[in-house]
Formats: sequence, structure tokens, C-alpha cells
Amino acid sequence: MSGAGFVLDLHRCVGCGACVLACRIENGRIETAAWRRVLPLNLRRHQAGPTYFLSVACHHCEEPACLKGCPSGAYEKRPDGVVVHHEERCLGCRYCEMTCPFATPTYDEAKGVMSKCHLCAHRVDAGRLPACVAACPTEALQYAASPEAQAGGATAFVPGFADPAGCRPVVRFLAPAGARRAELFRSLEEALKR
Amino acid sequence: MLVTLDEGNRIVSIEGDPENPATGGRVCLKGLSYARRVTYSDRLLRPLRRKAPGAGFEPVSWEAALGEIAERLKGLRDAHGPAAALYYEGSGSHGALGGLSMAFWRQFGGCTTTFGDLCWPAGLEATRLTYGANLHNHPKLTVQGRLILLWGHNPAETNVHQWRLILDAQAQGARVIVIDPRQTDSTDAADRHLQPRPGTDAALALGLARVIVDAGLHDAQFVEAHTHGFGEYRQRLAEFPLGRVASLTGIEPEEIRALALEYAGTKPALLIAGFGLQRHSRAGQTMRAVALLPALTGNVGIPGGGWQYANLASHCLRPLALPPEPAASRSIPVSQVALHLETLDAPPIRAAWIERGNPAVQNPAAHRLRGALARLDLVVVVDQFMTPTAGLAHFVLPAKTLFEEEDLVTAYWHPYLQWRARILPPPGEVRPESDIWRALCERFGYDTSYFPADRESYLRALLPDACGFTLDDLKERPLDLSGNGDVAFADRRFPTVSGKVEFASGEASATWGVDPVPDCAPLGEGAESPARRRFPLQLLSCKTRDRIHSQFGNLDWVRAVERPHVLDIHPDDARARGIEEGSRAAVWNERGRIELPVRVTPGIRPGVVHVLEGWCHEGDADVNALTAEGITDMNHGATFYECLVEVARA
Repeated sequence: MSGAGFVLDLHRCVGCGACVLACRIENGRIETAAWRRVLPLNLRRHQAGPTYFLSVACHHCEEPACLKGCPSGAYEKRPDGVVVHHEERCLGCRYCEMTCPFATPTYDEAKGVMSKCHLCAHRVDAGRLPACVAACPTEALQYAASPEAQAGGATAFVPGFADPAGCRPVVRFLAPAGARRAELFRSLEEALKR
Repeated sequence: MLVTLDEGNRIVSIEGDPENPATGGRVCLKGLSYARRVTYSDRLLRPLRRKAPGAGFEPVSWEAALGEIAERLKGLRDAHGPAAALYYEGSGSHGALGGLSMAFWRQFGGCTTTFGDLCWPAGLEATRLTYGANLHNHPKLTVQGRLILLWGHNPAETNVHQWRLILDAQAQGARVIVIDPRQTDSTDAADRHLQPRPGTDAALALGLARVIVDAGLHDAQFVEAHTHGFGEYRQRLAEFPLGRVASLTGIEPEEIRALALEYAGTKPALLIAGFGLQRHSRAGQTMRAVALLPALTGNVGIPGGGWQYANLASHCLRPLALPPEPAASRSIPVSQVALHLETLDAPPIRAAWIERGNPAVQNPAAHRLRGALARLDLVVVVDQFMTPTAGLAHFVLPAKTLFEEEDLVTAYWHPYLQWRARILPPPGEVRPESDIWRALCERFGYDTSYFPADRESYLRALLPDACGFTLDDLKERPLDLSGNGDVAFADRRFPTVSGKVEFASGEASATWGVDPVPDCAPLGEGAESPARRRFPLQLLSCKTRDRIHSQFGNLDWVRAVERPHVLDIHPDDARARGIEEGSRAAVWNERGRIELPVRVTPGIRPGVVHVLEGWCHEGDADVNALTAEGITDMNHGATFYECLVEVARA
């Protein structure tokens, strides 16, 4: 059991960004950089590959590089899997920005500290879904107490997302469907695996 | 929408209403962006007055602003008559109270208003002529469709709530097919995609019908019992053999045939049409041709099937009590505001009052409209932000947002009427439009009894008689007051002239001068027109998920997640013009010229180029410098997508 994380259905995600805004509102990220990002793949619709969107925030890794790289112990991996950043212990050295292969922690200029997604632990602890998940208009973004146990062919690797540093990110993806896109996806996946 | 405020009146959450089955309790990007919008740094909070011609603005009191506006309006009326004033309203921030502006203008002696609509009217009229009313099945029944045909419709970008239901249907085994000249987020997820030439949808619809009827796959029983004019329609189909349809639409005959057989062979099949395929001069006849396919195949009045264009079930409020319309009033087509500002006589337009809209960039021939507005003696714009239209005003009055005045809000997809609570006081010196009109009436000494003493009681009185619900019910949840039920036309009663679905419509012919049976004629600026020799590319200016037209694009939150604003062009068309990915292109025709970056994409049909509309901030290219002031064959719509251009490296 690796703990809690996100599951993203790449067929249902339309890259609308409602998750990004819901996170901003919930976590008071008003004037600062957003914790969640939407990364479009192939908006130009090159015929060699599919078009889809990766909505990503912190992956709450099993081996968090942010935690390992932090000289002040500002990161904690909770028993439920959530990787929490403790602002009061943060030096603002920005090492975690370098050690995280996904560049997830963002630097807050005004406060001089880092910050990142905490899986809306305050909501989850109260039995609610993370704000981004609750807002997703197409129900593409989901929360799972154990994403790796997700049924329905969820996968850790999709083109455009990989884990070069071996952090074992706790996020899973459901492959895009639709006749043409599914075929393009499979061929791109094969090509990248080779 | 459920909004939570903290003790300092700051928005701390915006969530969907779980009682609304159409949205599944989820809010789109634009709804969420109100958390930023209402307190955004460049929100207009006080009235502004232009310092001098061509100069900037200075703050001014309401007293001074309304006083000067009133004096100038009186002067214009005395010199030229009341119709020298144009009152232009868009549909932004809409609600029932918007209509109170007329309490002023009618007492003023009248004014010039606009008629028609820039968005959807031809499709509305085509649907009315065909089925008798603009009703469709409840959105929740979408999941029962076995085949969902999206025609010129891109809900993955323009109706994410509908898209959720379509994806649910697809997950349960429904086939999703899209007809669109462009690859979009919807076509990516689809099981089949056809890319016709823009403006040839009527030919495609009649061609599909021909295949269906030839194969004997139409629902003869439904046609016999519930339709009118099938014989004449069948004669029309004789003009549309597969070879001709393929050559008109640019789609392979086998593809057309396969779609026809699949659509007619799957029940229930749901056909959802977008607004885009009615944005040209043959819009009404096109929409009639498409709208008839569900009737031909017996997909009407059943769950999971049907024709979906717009649902006006919630448009059931009683009309506002207003003074009588004065004889001096007149009206101009909304798609031709620039033309009429330039040419209207007896009297010419000398003043314009514009609210809830941004015509200086959003109307056809917007560059000419800007020029014409700049020449007026008085322009008053009411808006939340300094839009390109507001930038041309003599007075800019700060407008409320949807959180700052109670109202009743209608819909055009789901059947619900909704109560909009006032949850925030208007910030700064902002006044709701209804208060502005009341203040102006007071200044003129007019009767102000038309305005609500108390908005809640006023709105309560607008609810339809005998609907069985009260305003308190409406405050609890969205309500369908229409009594139409979840399945449109379940009783097979159609409020048309014949009482049946009309393949042939004498009313269409009498009212609009079109052939009683839907037909297909080439566009003035289309795939077949001689003008293509000079301007060979068809320009589409479509919508995506992060705008409602020009709204929301000023917000940093939206800018950070928006799509790039580029010219989409096919590699063949780009190569022929020496244009490469990332270079800048000039796009022009006889009406105007714009420049913007290029995205070379095989996803668009050759011969077609595309620019997203609604981008009008920070130097965005204005696509409506290129569009024409045409009028649709029915119901006074605009023809944004009938627009030929040429492109070259800038």
C-alpha cells in the first residue's frame, strides 16, 4: 500500500483547467503560482500521436525526492501517503525545486518559502474529496486511497509522463479511448517503450 | 452554484449545486473564475468620464455622470428625435431584470434597438418550423443514447457538462460520431469523425437522408403517422445522389453511406447540433435539413434519442410590466450595427448606450463598428471592465457581477429556471443596471413604478401562473417549471401548422421566402463561390472552453490555462504559401487584415483556416475585422462563418 493519490482518466480530461482554479480557490493561491497545472500533449494534432491533457499536481511519491533533498526537514510523508510541506520549517533554499523531477514545489516570492499540493489533506481528513477532484466537470480527475490498486487498466506510464528519478509517483492514468485516439496512443506507447 | 464567503466577504469556495442533475454538481472553469473576477484589480468600481476627445478617463460622481448624460440625451432627442439614440444590449450577465432598461427608453419617447441575435436564431427558427417548439429531452437522458451524433458541435470545449454525459454514454457502449471541419477535443474522443467543407451541411443531411430512404431504413410508420410533406421531401432527395453529395461536401461516398447506415440502424440515436453550422446565410434551410433526420428515423419522442439544438423550456417567465412602445421606436439588425451606424438616416444615430456586450470587437465588421462609435456625440458603456467597447465611450459606468443583484436566470440546454441570490454588496460605487435606469428615470421625472420596490417580490410576480412552485422552492433547487416532462414530444404532438413534424413547411416559405422543403444552395462566400479565386480559404472563428465570447480573457487565472491564440492552417495550405509553424501570418480579405502566429496542423480540413474568437486583450488579433455583416435566411442571425480570406507570411 503506497497511500493516497490521484487517478486521471485521459479519455475524460479535456484540459479545461477547472481543477487548477478550484485548487487556487481552496488553497488561497490567489496571486501566486498555481499548484496544479494542465499540460497539453500535441495540441497541434501531429498525426503521429494522440492529443490529450495531463492535469498534474504533486504525485505524493513513495520515495519523495523533495523530502530527501530537503536540508531542513520541511517535508513529511504521512502514514496515509500524503506528502506534506511544513512551511514553518522551510528555509526557502529551493533545493526541492531541483530534486523533484516534476518541478512540483513552487517558490512563493512574497513569503520566501516553498509550497505545494497537500492532496487537500484537510478536506480528505474531513471525509471530503480534494477540491480539484470535486470540481472536475467531466469526472476525469479522481482521488484514490490507493491509486495503484485502481481497476480498469490504470497505468503508471503514459507518453508525456515518466519517472526518471525513481520516486515512484503515486498517480495512475487511464488510457484515452475513441477509435482513432486509442490506436494512436497504443502506437506511441509502444514506440516510447522500445 | 454554491458560493461560500468568509467573514470578510471573500469567496472561499465555489461549488456546483448537487441538486442540479444537468451539471452533476460541478462548475466549469468560467464559473470558478468568478472567485478572481469579482475582486480583480482592473474591475471598474466608479463611473468614468473621458477627459477630452481621444484622451483618457477621469473618475466622476454618479450625480455628475448621470446629469451630463441626461442633458446630452435630451439635447439629442430635441434636435433629432429619440431614435437618434441606439440602445444595444448583449447577453452577458443575463437575467430577467435586464429588460428594465426599456422602462426608461419608452418614457424617453423610444429609441433605436436591435433585433435578431448574433448567436443562434436561425437554428431556433428552423427547429420551431420543423417540430413546433424548441424543446429537447432532459440532459440526463443523454446516457441512454446508443449513438450520439454531434453535428458541428464540440461539447468537450463548449459544454463540458454535456460532455460528461456523452462520455458516460460512450463508456456504456454508445458510439460517438462527430461532423466538424476541424479536429477538436470532441473529435479526438470520438469513434468516427467526418470533416465536410464548411457550409455544405444541408447537402450532407439530404445525402444521408437519401441513402437512408433508398435503403428503406427510415421509420415509415413514424413518418406516416406524425409528419407532413414527406412526398415533397422525397422528391428533393432525388436531387442528392451520393456522388453529388460527395463532391459538394468533400467527403468520400463510402464514408457518407456508412454514416447513414449506422445512424439509421442504431436506436435510440441522439443528434446534437451546434450553433456553428448556422452561422452563414443559408443557415435556416441547413438546420431544417439536419433537424429532419431524427424524424426520418423515428428518433423523436423517445428517451436517448431526439434532436437537440436549444432547450427553451426555462424561458417561461411572464413579461415585465413596461410602458407602451412609442411610435418613434425603430430597430436595426444586430448583425449590421456598423452598417446602420454609418448609413441610417431620419434620424442618423448620434448616441449609443451599450451594456452587457462588447460589440466593438465581437460584432461582424467590428473595425468599422469601432470607427462609427468613435464618431458619435455620446457613447455610454456599462461594464465590469475596460473592454475595447468601453474604451470608446464618453462615460463608462461600473456594472455589477452576477453575485451582486438578485435575479431569475433561464437556460438554453437544461430545462431549469434558477434563482440567483445577491450574496455580495456591489463593491465601490457599482450599481446594478436596474438601479442605473431607475436613477435616470428619476432625473427625467419619469414614472419609476416600473422598477422593483423589492426585487424578491418583483421576481416572484414573474413566475408563470399555476406552475405549482414558489420562489422559495426555487431558492432550494433549480426547477423545471415548464411541465413538459423529461422526454420532448413524448405525446407525438407537435405545435406546428400541420400539428406534425414538417418535412415541407408552408410557413417557412411564407415567412422567410425559402423553399418549403429544405434545400442546398451555394454560399456567397463558400466552398463553391467565385470569390474563392481571390480569397481561397474559408475562415472559421470558433469557441473554446476558457471564454464566453470576449469575457474572462482579462483574468490572469484564465490566461494561465487558456489555449494559444493562433491561425490554424493545414500543412498543404501552409506549404503553398511558404508558411512555417511558429511564423506570423497575415490574414485578409476586402474587409480587413489581421496578423497572428501560425499553428500548422493536419487536424484542420485543407482549404479551411481557423482563429478562436473572443480574444481581445493585450494586442490580440481581432478576427471580426474580417467577418461580414450578412444576415441568415431565417430569423436575423449573423454569418460569422461565411468568410473567405487569403493568408500569407506576415
